[in-house]
Amino acid sequence: MAQTTSVATSAEPSDEGPDFEPPPVARRSGRLTDRWIARLSVAPAMLFLVGLFLFPLLWAVVLSFSTYSATRNQPIEWVWFGNYVDVLTSDQVWERAITTLIFVVAAVGLQTLVGFGIAWLLSRQQRGRGALTVLLLLPMMLSPVVVGAFWKLMLDSQFGVVNRFLEAVGVGQVLWLTQPRLALFSLVVVDSWQWTPFIMVIALAGLTAVPDYLFEAAEIDRASEWFKFRHITLPLVWPLLLIAIMFRAIDAFRLFDIVYVVTGGGPGSSTETLSYHLYKIAFQNSDTAVASAYGILMVIVVTIATQFYVKYLTRVQAK
Amino acid sequence: MRPARALRGGLLLLAVVLMLFPAVWMLITSLKDIQDVYAATVFDFTPTLDNYRDVFVSTSAAGGASDLVTNFSNSVIITALATLLATLIGVPAAWGFSRFDLKGAKDQLFFILSTRFMPPVVVVIPLFVMYRWAGLYDTRTGLVLLYTAFNLPFTIWMMKGFVDEIPGEYEDALMMDGYSRLQAFRQGSLPLLVPGILATAVFSMIFTWNEFTFAVFLTGSTARTVPPAIAGLLGGQSTPWGLVAAAAMVFALPVLAFGFLVRKHLVAGMTFGAVRR
Amino acid sequence: MRRTPTLRRWGVVLTAMLVVLAGCSSGDDDASGDPTSGDATGTEAETTAGTDDATEPADEGTGETETAAAGDGEPVELSVVWFEWAPAQLLEDFANQEYSKVNPNVTISMDAVPNPQWHDAIFTQFAARQTDFDIAILDSQWIGEAVEGGHVLDLTEFAAESINPDDYPQNLLSAYGQYPRAEDGLYDPAGNLYGLPALADSYVLVYRKDLIGEPPATWDEMIDKAAACQEENEGMYGLAFHGSGGSDEAAVMLNTQLWTHGGEIWDPQELQVEGILNSPENIEAATQLTDEMLPLTPPGFVGTAFISEVNAAMAQGQTCMGFNWVAGLEGLQTPEVSGALGETEEEILEKLGFARVPTDETEIVSLGGMGMSVSAYTENEQEVLDFLAWFQQPEVQVAWGAFGGVPAQTAALESDEFLSARPWNPAFVESVEDLKDFWNMPEYFRLLDIHNSEANAMLSGTQSAEDTLNNIASQQQEVMDEIREGGL
Repeated sequence: MAQTTSVATSAEPSDEGPDFEPPPVARRSGRLTDRWIARLSVAPAMLFLVGLFLFPLLWAVVLSFSTYSATRNQPIEWVWFGNYVDVLTSDQVWERAITTLIFVVAAVGLQTLVGFGIAWLLSRQQRGRGALTVLLLLPMMLSPVVVGAFWKLMLDSQFGVVNRFLEAVGVGQVLWLTQPRLALFSLVVVDSWQWTPFIMVIALAGLTAVPDYLFEAAEIDRASEWFKFRHITLPLVWPLLLIAIMFRAIDAFRLFDIVYVVTGGGPGSSTETLSYHLYKIAFQNSDTAVASAYGILMVIVVTIATQFYVKYLTRVQAK
Repeated sequence: MRPARALRGGLLLLAVVLMLFPAVWMLITSLKDIQDVYAATVFDFTPTLDNYRDVFVSTSAAGGASDLVTNFSNSVIITALATLLATLIGVPAAWGFSRFDLKGAKDQLFFILSTRFMPPVVVVIPLFVMYRWAGLYDTRTGLVLLYTAFNLPFTIWMMKGFVDEIPGEYEDALMMDGYSRLQAFRQGSLPLLVPGILATAVFSMIFTWNEFTFAVFLTGSTARTVPPAIAGLLGGQSTPWGLVAAAAMVFALPVLAFGFLVRKHLVAGMTFGAVRR
Repeated sequence: MRRTPTLRRWGVVLTAMLVVLAGCSSGDDDASGDPTSGDATGTEAETTAGTDDATEPADEGTGETETAAAGDGEPVELSVVWFEWAPAQLLEDFANQEYSKVNPNVTISMDAVPNPQWHDAIFTQFAARQTDFDIAILDSQWIGEAVEGGHVLDLTEFAAESINPDDYPQNLLSAYGQYPRAEDGLYDPAGNLYGLPALADSYVLVYRKDLIGEPPATWDEMIDKAAACQEENEGMYGLAFHGSGGSDEAAVMLNTQLWTHGGEIWDPQELQVEGILNSPENIEAATQLTDEMLPLTPPGFVGTAFISEVNAAMAQGQTCMGFNWVAGLEGLQTPEVSGALGETEEEILEKLGFARVPTDETEIVSLGGMGMSVSAYTENEQEVLDFLAWFQQPEVQVAWGAFGGVPAQTAALESDEFLSARPWNPAFVESVEDLKDFWNMPEYFRLLDIHNSEANAMLSGTQSAEDTLNNIASQQQEVMDEIREGGL
């Protein structure tokens, strides 16, 4: 199938034969076909998403009401909302939810601040901005598993370069990965290192787009730096930044790879996120039904949060 | 003014050093043998290229190309196709959503976004069942389709933002001149969208290039991509850190190169989305 | 700017889309693929369903013909799933080199996944009730889960004809294949067998000959020697052992401590944990682990340590002694890994020694290793069984040991070939009779998750031994009570 796909798609640019002549005058039907054009432009994407995700989604929804286990051989019983109740009343889940929440807020907050800060500095830098930007994207270009493993080595209490450095400057040994608070903080650092560039590049886009005349006008009014930032820069960058934050928050909420590789949820279960907990239930424990309910609840939480967020976003964009 | 500029320059330098240090450290590690890795020295070691050789050449007695080479070509093909497809499908959709008053457009857009909400571990098993049934397990096609679908929400949402920023009047004016709707898009909006498309494509590419969970579960030895292969070097034995770092470095190169090629558009592309009216 | 025939452009895009969608049903680059089904692929998305219907029977048909044809000398590839580590490569090389002499039509291909995904990759395929692999190398804990789900073949009858149970250390034959397992952990001729040994393994003690001298025989002696070594060698620590939060890594260390000190982790008959795991004796033993042994390890080390970390601590001359899995030691004797200790293997082995794990109240040592089970969904059942029968032949097991593997038959273990194949093999053989495994029922993971998380907290130094054992006991007792109610 790979061949077929590549042939079809790669043939596409070369296929632009001159045989299609643009109509010399607007056809009356041109406007009529708008509806079809609209549908056709959206249809492939919808088909694709529905085709790939409808079955998994339905599967999860239906099974979440049962006692199904993917690997056990037992008759299915229907427990309706039993699994949902179990998940929602589980202390373990709430503990993980709090861990996840702390992580999302800290990581996305840190990334936004640092990312925006670097972007602001870059926007004032004329020379080599393009190259520097790409270079700064490097952390994002590495596989999260590799990033996780490598940071684990760097944060290693004995062989890690971070502690070597800290010892050299007299701070002494820090046990990054085996103290509950510190371990969570380490995860925030690792995730932020990898994803700050994402926020950075989007913020940079907004920043470089601020028309110069606005600043010139402010200059004439002898506006302070802060005023310029608060009333010119930020309002222009904010809408774009909000989309970036949304994508980051959604992904951070599902954080899995890095936890898995760096701390394994430890010490104890102090860095276990919802996704990691869910993974254990789904895969290791093969409690497919409970995991489905768990996953759907997570989707509901994100959906509600995103709904509010998008409303706010549209308001900001409309301004 | 001068001191402010110097301060900014200094801060930027600090940020760049801090952000790039781990990557530089990885580069240094890739040039070390294992003692030097654990010694964690910065300059005091004899650099070796053995790790890079081991990325490409099998260490087994038989020699030949290493498995990583196969994984690498899988990654290249899958990423290229998935990025291309996501762009080809996502851009028209974004345009459609932006230009037309589609019924339930908001709901559709939200549905598109919501496909990103589900934690991968919940959908892995049904996807696996589906893929087995459809003969897509352990095929590149399977991963291309999946990654395309995964990149669509981001592509559509970002691109819709870009299209929104181009006044519809551009296209209207062209249509007045006798162009069809599609030609008007092609002539009026598309050229302006190119930077945005490239910038979005870079992100799609990065997501696809590094995806791990589905790559592990939906492939066997045939279509396996690099991230799970590198992960395989960890655990179960003494970790060959130099090799891990070298493989990661080599693997980052294509994306980095692509980023450099489109760097003008990358910033400009993103920039352009923020231009308002 | 060129004028582009936009309609056609869209046309091509859409066609590509549809082809791709329709392609969902064909998959002609499928590894196990059926080359003919691709031709039937329609170009309209609507035909997807139809094509799939056509594909499925075709697949089954191919499977049957393959099986039938194999007897006539058609080449067959048997796929084995394991995780990526040295033994996986060894087994693939060994099988292809040796088995091809016996049966040139069969090749063995190893599908090695990253270690943390080992269980999940196998059971995802089991969940689909269709597997790409023929042989699954299962950790001994997973046998119950695989058997109860009906995912692996019952090998009892096959084994009755093709192996002699007396050839094996009885605890190994039981651990790698029996379910349910007899209470004494020994092979039960009346019980069922679902796997045969692939690779035996155990904890061994790695120690610095040059610093420790003779390896410690008892647990207390080990602690004393470790403390002395740490005292005498500036910058070095006495001990290294596993304790990370992944899988069973911290749990096995805790079990080792409890078992050697005469404790038990549960009563399998009564499904009782409370009062057994957190008995005063066990708490005392675990307290020795936290209060006497942890201070002898590098700070922050144990909480994230597994095979690679312990190897590194030994290879870099950071610790005087360490526990590790035998099969994970592969490479430690080489200058590529242990160059800090010497430039040649001989020099390194003058410093590194390997001994059985010290004893205390008992001589028990934690059992590792794994067996080969046959996927219930294999299309090559006969070929797989033929291969298993071959692999379990006494002379083949000897050859496997000589090749670098760890066999599970007494004769092979005692053969000179095996004893001299790797420097740690004699230490392994010494403790074979004393190896002990833990739960293998389907609920093992819920128990393990509790066990390992709590043990990891303890070994990270964030929780006392007493709290740890009490926490484990109360949580695991809940699981046990559920099992009891479930009528097991």
